Amino acid sequence: MSADVLGVIVLVCLGYLLLTNLTYVALVAVAAVENGIRRRETASEDYDVLEASRFTIPVSVIVAAYDEEAAIVSTVRSLLALDYPEHEVIVVNDGSNDGTMDRLRDAFALEPYEVFVRRVFTTEEVRAIYRSAERPSLIVVDKANGGKADALNAGLNVARFRYVCGVDADTVFDKEALLKGMRLVVQDPARIVGVTSHLTIARDPEQAMAAPQGRRPIDRRPFMAYQHLDYLRAFFNNRLAWSRLGFMLCSVGAFQIWRRDVLEEVGGYSRRFTCEDIELTFRVHERFLREGRDYEIQCLPDNVGTTEGPDTVRKLVSQRERWQRVIDETVWHNRKMWFNPRYRSVGLLGAPFYLVTEVLAPAIEVLAIVSLPVAIALGVFEPVIFVVLLAAIAFMNAALTACAILLDDLQSRTYRTRDLLRLLLLAPFDLVLYRPIIVWARLKGSWRFLRGDKAWHKFERNVRSA
Amino acid sequence: MNALVLRVAVVVLALALPAWMLLSLVVVLGRVRYERKRRKPPPQALRPRKADQLVRRVSRTPRTQWGKWRRVAALARLEQAHHPAVPRLIRPVLADPDPRIAAAAIRTLGDIGDERAIDLLISALRTANGPRSRIAAELERLAPAPGPKLVPLLRDWNPAVRFWGATLLGPYPDLGESSLIALTWDSDPNVRAAAVETLGNRSGTSVGAATLACLDDSEWFVRVHAARAAGRVLAAAAAPTITRLLADERWWVRTAAKDALRGLGTEAVPSLLSVLAHSDPFARNGAAEVLQDVGFVDFLALDNPSSPLLERIYAAGGEKLREAAKARIEGMERQGIRAA
Repeated sequence: MSADVLGVIVLVCLGYLLLTNLTYVALVAVAAVENGIRRRETASEDYDVLEASRFTIPVSVIVAAYDEEAAIVSTVRSLLALDYPEHEVIVVNDGSNDGTMDRLRDAFALEPYEVFVRRVFTTEEVRAIYRSAERPSLIVVDKANGGKADALNAGLNVARFRYVCGVDADTVFDKEALLKGMRLVVQDPARIVGVTSHLTIARDPEQAMAAPQGRRPIDRRPFMAYQHLDYLRAFFNNRLAWSRLGFMLCSVGAFQIWRRDVLEEVGGYSRRFTCEDIELTFRVHERFLREGRDYEIQCLPDNVGTTEGPDTVRKLVSQRERWQRVIDETVWHNRKMWFNPRYRSVGLLGAPFYLVTEVLAPAIEVLAIVSLPVAIALGVFEPVIFVVLLAAIAFMNAALTACAILLDDLQSRTYRTRDLLRLLLLAPFDLVLYRPIIVWARLKGSWRFLRGDKAWHKFERNVRSA
Repeated sequence: MNALVLRVAVVVLALALPAWMLLSLVVVLGRVRYERKRRKPPPQALRPRKADQLVRRVSRTPRTQWGKWRRVAALARLEQAHHPAVPRLIRPVLADPDPRIAAAAIRTLGDIGDERAIDLLISALRTANGPRSRIAAELERLAPAPGPKLVPLLRDWNPAVRFWGATLLGPYPDLGESSLIALTWDSDPNVRAAAVETLGNRSGTSVGAATLACLDDSEWFVRVHAARAAGRVLAAAAAPTITRLLADERWWVRTAAKDALRGLGTEAVPSLLSVLAHSDPFARNGAAEVLQDVGFVDFLALDNPSSPLLERIYAAGGEKLREAAKARIEGMERQGIRAA
């Protein structure tokens, strides 16, 4: 009897695996079409015209910074150096305990000024507002700690332009990042309310971005390379397809462009969730679909920058458990959207996709990890099956990963050929070398979600080259 | 059960392993091919057979979006080779209902840039083939050639066309002045806003009078553009009128007024001082903020820290204005000591 039950459990797990992988294959097919269209679109785009045109919509870039002394100056420099006709950079120091504010003050010659801003969103107390004597487009808001959402809301209060771009303080941006992100918006600002784009990962983003396009190296350490592959899969295999199918449900925190009136309408960034990005995207979809309004939230395949990735297992687990928690919180909070035709593809495809592949995944993965060896030990399954199964899953993942690498390379030709080859060779070993860490982090995140933990658990920043 | 699981696993492996190998090969070979092509750029001229093939592709009406983008790519290649059929072929692409496809045709027209391309762009602006902002960007890129052709747009029946006509006349200070002044009374507020914005780059009594009149417009965004324009056209003479807008009900208008007054520098000081005791708190703190920004607060704080006038500004701007000024002065003194 127990052997039968075990057998059924293993079959359920395998069925789940097959179903999710088939879903991923279908998504990759859609993503390939989307990538092809975007590639042709990009090829016909003239960024010089966009950059020179006064009709290119101005953007307020908001950087929420908490204890970011290691990265903040390079991030702000890259934002000030963006090729864009008109943009302002608003850095919100969210009550940092380290030298973030001092670094900013020294690097950009900040001077305090009283600025009477709109109080559209209630935030923690703003202590002072600084302007740069050297860079007029830079504003620094120094406020009491209230979390990233609160900091972004404080930035929104100060922002002057119709579009805002929320970015992370640990990301270094490509000079054309805003042009790439805004090129769709400029064509249809009435419809496009949100845009995000592809970001890569590195241990030291500044160093990675210093290399020219086509010669950019990928960190030699497999641990960083696997995170890179994870990002590629997330952007190219999933988000591009979601965009095409009308349910782009995660505008990433490191680069999220929003029409400001939409943010004001939905009440800005919420402090009630562990992170702000995915929850806000769900909320905007929910609002527009409930009211039957025409809109688009898009993810673009253009590489807009490099963000800092954790360089130790402990840091990675801390980051990924937080991501899992916010996914659980958001999907559960929006449970009325599940399978609800009123929410069109978001309700019928997007929310269920998240539920099945993200929320339920940790439980089923653990069940599989536990039940399969036990089943083999009890003689329910033969060991050879385990080996063949493992190889099948590993190469299935590797094939999907190779698709992501191909789509990325077709789009941007960013990396060296030898690095691409290394990524392709690493892909089959993802299942045994990298996936267990992610499964552990997701399990931890799910457990913390069930306990109602909403702490940020920010990972300690990497040590960068001088 | 064993047999079933094994069969499924083997099938998956049999599909996944070759797929991974094949895709890896495609990635590497594709990249090598790209690198080789990059080193040797394609020739400008097209072989006749290739050109015919591209012309046929552009002439067809594709049903799928993928096909439409293939058509755009073919058109771009023909344009790159300066193929004589491009002006004829571009019309159906420009008429595509998808704004992104039409935008690609607009960009191609901008690259061609001759008289015929300008006429097509202006015609597209009238008929809204493609996003008007992209058409405008291309027309502006081609300045000064389109200038005289833009003036008739000011008399179009469609307010959107009048709006773009008025906007695009920005870089042409000698064209259409009387029509622009007339448009500051247009029934459409967007047109009034565009007209006054363009007049902001000109000078003269009638232009000044038109911008001043727009400061009292019923629509807030017209007042926004009027505040900025009046500051540029009339300079200090407009300061008292713009200062009134510091008490406007709309935040955007108050911000535009502050920007305009900041642009006037110390010439705005007398007008700003007159509203420090205004009944409206926005007018009071707005005036204090601009006095701070133009350097008047720092000047008083350094020259005469106990000045009653400075106290009046602090009273209008609040405690944070005082603290910020104090911190700036301390910073200046520190720098002075260091320099000494």
